[in-house]
Amino acid sequence: MRGHGNLLGLYVPGNSALHRTPLWLKVLLSVLLSTAVLAARAPEATAAGLAVVTLALTIGAHTPAVQLGKTVLPLLPVLGLLLAYQGFTNGPVPAFVTAGNILVCVLAARVLTLTTPGQELLDGVVFVARPVRAVGGDPERFGLALSILMRSIPYLAGSLLDVRDAARARGLERSVRATVVPVVVSAVAYAHRTGEALAARGLGEDDRPTPGA
Amino acid sequence: MHPTRQTIIGPAGKSSWHSRKRWTSTDLSLIAVFAALIAALAILPGIPIGSLGVPITLQTLGVVLAGLVLGPTRGFAAVGLYLVAGLAGLPVFSGFRSGFGVLAGPSAGYLLAFPFAALLAGFLAVLILRRAARFRWIGLFLAGLTASLLTVHPLGIAGLVINGGLEVQAAVLADAVFLPGDVVKNALAAGIALSVHRAFPRLLAPARRPKAGASS
Repeated sequence: MRGHGNLLGLYVPGNSALHRTPLWLKVLLSVLLSTAVLAARAPEATAAGLAVVTLALTIGAHTPAVQLGKTVLPLLPVLGLLLAYQGFTNGPVPAFVTAGNILVCVLAARVLTLTTPGQELLDGVVFVARPVRAVGGDPERFGLALSILMRSIPYLAGSLLDVRDAARARGLERSVRATVVPVVVSAVAYAHRTGEALAARGLGEDDRPTPGA
Repeated sequence: MHPTRQTIIGPAGKSSWHSRKRWTSTDLSLIAVFAALIAALAILPGIPIGSLGVPITLQTLGVVLAGLVLGPTRGFAAVGLYLVAGLAGLPVFSGFRSGFGVLAGPSAGYLLAFPFAALLAGFLAVLILRRAARFRWIGLFLAGLTASLLTVHPLGIAGLVINGGLEVQAAVLADAVFLPGDVVKNALAAGIALSVHRAFPRLLAPARRPKAGASS
């Protein structure tokens, strides 16, 4: 089994101003910035937004250059296509606004993930999910499911790579059946084991009163 | 490895997928593990397929599988959980993207359609697996394909038009690029789901009476 340390978030430990900002404030600011540029749909707003996220990433969060590259590079093909298409049909200014706004939103959200540990983000989601209790939801079980999700990703990714190696050794590396079926079957078995372990510890059960009981 | 005996705990022992039932801790962990499976399939590099060796990413394969294997409600929950985790900032979308910023991107429609694709695929899969004794592979393949044609492609095109600013015609053309891969992935998902149901026959069983006992 191989380890996948990079899967638990893009968090870069640090002590910058944004690392010390509370999560709710960072969420609020990045949502405000995103909605502002999307609502304005003006080149000035997009340029200002790009400047703000760039400043936040470099000065606010002290993001290493490597990490910045990793953030922007995967976006370039899609943004490039959009720029070309929009520039061809609508002209350069709408092209800049469309592609720039997407970049602003993605980077604003990325500021959060770079400066907040993954577990803290998920705790934030569970906190936000608390009002679902009013309509019969259960935020604790939701939080438990998120924890199992995080714990299972490295296991399953490792298992996928192992099975892929085994298939390659048999000359079957192009067969998706040979590379995926064993992983899915063992994932279901793993889920059953986890479920039984949870039940044995009294976790994850629905302890709300049964209607009609 | 004989976990076919389903854990039945608490007052919610009778689990029938259509009534509003309580999820057991096994259901909960199936949902979470399938969400993790989609994430693992999405972030690993694609597998080269066929003689041309075009690499395809397996994110959508995981989405359809969640529906076909877990049924409509748990499938929807699994894909929904995956989406929530990704939007919250875990790098689980393909290409290690994450965060709610993707909602502004041109592929937002595809992501938002995924839970509904699993819901519809799961609904059709339950019908097929309960009713049909033969041609199950074709049935599951058509279930997955129907689900993705009715949910993923329309919403995906809508996302391209709204977020990407494409003309509708251009968006349909851009979307059509994904169709061949989609057919291949649904064919694969049907075969994989059948294998999983052979290994775990009670995954989608109605479980009306616990007296049926362990079926391993």
